[in-house]
Amino acid sequence: MGDNEVVIQVKNLYKIYRVGDTGVRALNGVDFKIRRGEFCAIVGTSGSGKSTLLNMLAGLEPPTKGEVIIAGEHMETKKENELVAFRRDHIGFIFQSFNLMATMDAVENVALPLTFRGMDKKERDRRARSALKLVGLSKYMDHKPTQMSGGQQQRVGVARALVLDPEIIFADEPTGNLDSKTSEDVMRLMQTLVRKKKQTLIMVTHDNHLAEYADRVFHIKDGKIIKIEEKRASEEQEKEL
Amino acid sequence: MKPWDMLRLSVSNLLKRKLRTVLTVLGVVIGVASIVVMVSLGLGLSRSLTEEMESFGNMTCVTVTDLSTGGFYMGEESEKKDKEKKHLDDKAIAELSQLDNVEQVTPMLTTNVICLSGAYMCNADICGVPEGYLEEQGVELEKGTYPEQNGTPEVLYGNMVVPSMYNDKTESGYFWDGRMADVDVMKDPVMFVFDTDTYYNFKGNVPSDNGKVPAMPKKHLLPATGLIAGGPDEYTQHAYTIYTDLEDLKTLLKKEFKGKAIPGQPTTASGKPYKEIYYSRLMVYAASMDDVSDLQKEIRSMGYGAESDIEWIKQSQDQMKLVEVVLGGIGAVSLLVAAIGIANTMMMSIYERTKEIGIMKVLGCDMRNIQAMFLIEAGFIGLIGGVVGLILSYIISAVINVFGAGLMEGMGMGSEMTGISYIPFWLSAIALIFAILVGMIAGFFPSLRAMKLSPLAAIRNE
Repeated sequence: MGDNEVVIQVKNLYKIYRVGDTGVRALNGVDFKIRRGEFCAIVGTSGSGKSTLLNMLAGLEPPTKGEVIIAGEHMETKKENELVAFRRDHIGFIFQSFNLMATMDAVENVALPLTFRGMDKKERDRRARSALKLVGLSKYMDHKPTQMSGGQQQRVGVARALVLDPEIIFADEPTGNLDSKTSEDVMRLMQTLVRKKKQTLIMVTHDNHLAEYADRVFHIKDGKIIKIEEKRASEEQEKEL
Repeated sequence: MKPWDMLRLSVSNLLKRKLRTVLTVLGVVIGVASIVVMVSLGLGLSRSLTEEMESFGNMTCVTVTDLSTGGFYMGEESEKKDKEKKHLDDKAIAELSQLDNVEQVTPMLTTNVICLSGAYMCNADICGVPEGYLEEQGVELEKGTYPEQNGTPEVLYGNMVVPSMYNDKTESGYFWDGRMADVDVMKDPVMFVFDTDTYYNFKGNVPSDNGKVPAMPKKHLLPATGLIAGGPDEYTQHAYTIYTDLEDLKTLLKKEFKGKAIPGQPTTASGKPYKEIYYSRLMVYAASMDDVSDLQKEIRSMGYGAESDIEWIKQSQDQMKLVEVVLGGIGAVSLLVAAIGIANTMMMSIYERTKEIGIMKVLGCDMRNIQAMFLIEAGFIGLIGGVVGLILSYIISAVINVFGAGLMEGMGMGSEMTGISYIPFWLSAIALIFAILVGMIAGFFPSLRAMKLSPLAAIRNE
């Protein structure tokens, strides 16, 4: 498995919502491939279909037509419990509103996906602690979400996505609830971590500026990808020069 | 997911909404307590009924009688006229002992006597039983000892023998005007007349066949060995009986009625007495209550009369079961209400946790685990409610027994009542299992709903 292996392949994807008598095309024929280790941003305005695309990639919503192949498996043919199992084993998720469990401390929150896997408490706590260290929250291990700032909470969220060592991490407006300075911090953290761990990260955002952190930026409008920008390639070329 | 982790998550969810959990549990507590207390009342009632029946006679006992004496069973037994009617002798004992499910056969010889003590007299049954029988039957004594075989009969008085004594001159007696006979059977001499017909003829100046009024029959002074325990109003099967030793009584009767028919004994077709003295009845003890019915039929088919309390007891027991079911049903209504409460709580919980459930699904929590967690939660409500409800039931039961006992006694129910409310272990166990089950059934549809919630709810940013 080289760096160039395709982990996500989307073919001719359509999603049509029925509103009254008319069908609204949230996705109108989308095709792309994402390789392992890429940090991709999907950028678009509200209603462009970017969230729908993410939902379909993560298997949270079935497509109307088309194929989504992730790590060699067809998402559109899976049943709900198979999708849940697939996410448990292959996918990490970072939410806009952090979505941490209010009654659990940072370690327990990060360890939650491992709990779902049926891992021993000792082992999952060890992994959760090292993930929290990675995001710079060594001092906040025992804090509950309410005792942390938004930025810290999202770091816990990042640690929770990383702890599984998943093939793909999805981030849905990960900085949507954060102020601009914290946003930059979180973005830099995510960028460093995925680069270091060679993790694939798909981020959805409406903010063009945040998309700058990505290797590739997919611009989406009215359910279609209108432009794909290559960033990392140029960066690396710059470094080489 | 590990079961332990599911349990932990479920419990932490219950603790998150303490007041609501407590209120829901309270519903189950009341439901369980009302069922348990209601059923315990039914059980207590049926237990005291059983005890009462036991005081009337042994419930595993079939009383075997000689069909040729006493016309009591003629109606039922008349069709067996042609059949060989067997007398009750040692052969009969041997024959009956061989039947299946028979534990013991005890002969009894009963005859009517008149007791005379000072100005008082009474008519009673004197019953000869084998040595040791009364002790085996657990007959409790007020004082003295059981009669033993020693040549001449010694007697043990039933607790209602003295109260039934009557003073001819003052026309008083305990059952007539409440004045107890002034007789202490342990000290005062009591004379026994076995030939009662002659006694009455003598008293009433009635001439017998030969035209002469008979002379006073022989009176026997029989020493007392003791008195059966019980007050003057406590009826048991022993209350009116005077017990003595079987062999001693036989010897005495043989002597007393030499050449004459002993009252109550079978006679030949021509009315002549047999040489031998037959037993009045045989008490056949079955191995268990369930065998009594069949045993009774079998003995009847052999040509004996056979009676038992089993039909009456069965009928009473069926009635008691009905009472138990009705009482339990009343309790069940409140548990049903509690079940609706649990279902409601779980539904509320799901609405509250829609997002949380969604997150768990996005993070890969198995759908069946989600359902299991909700079922555990609902089951826990049932379990806690069941445990607390049981504790409450025991308290209520104790209170009823303490305060209710006086009340029942005032109403003239048995003074020996062991309790109005009675919670056996199996009732506690069933109540607990039932409570958990009710919780889980009530939580089933909510849990199904939780399982089917869309994970998209987690990503919606509200």
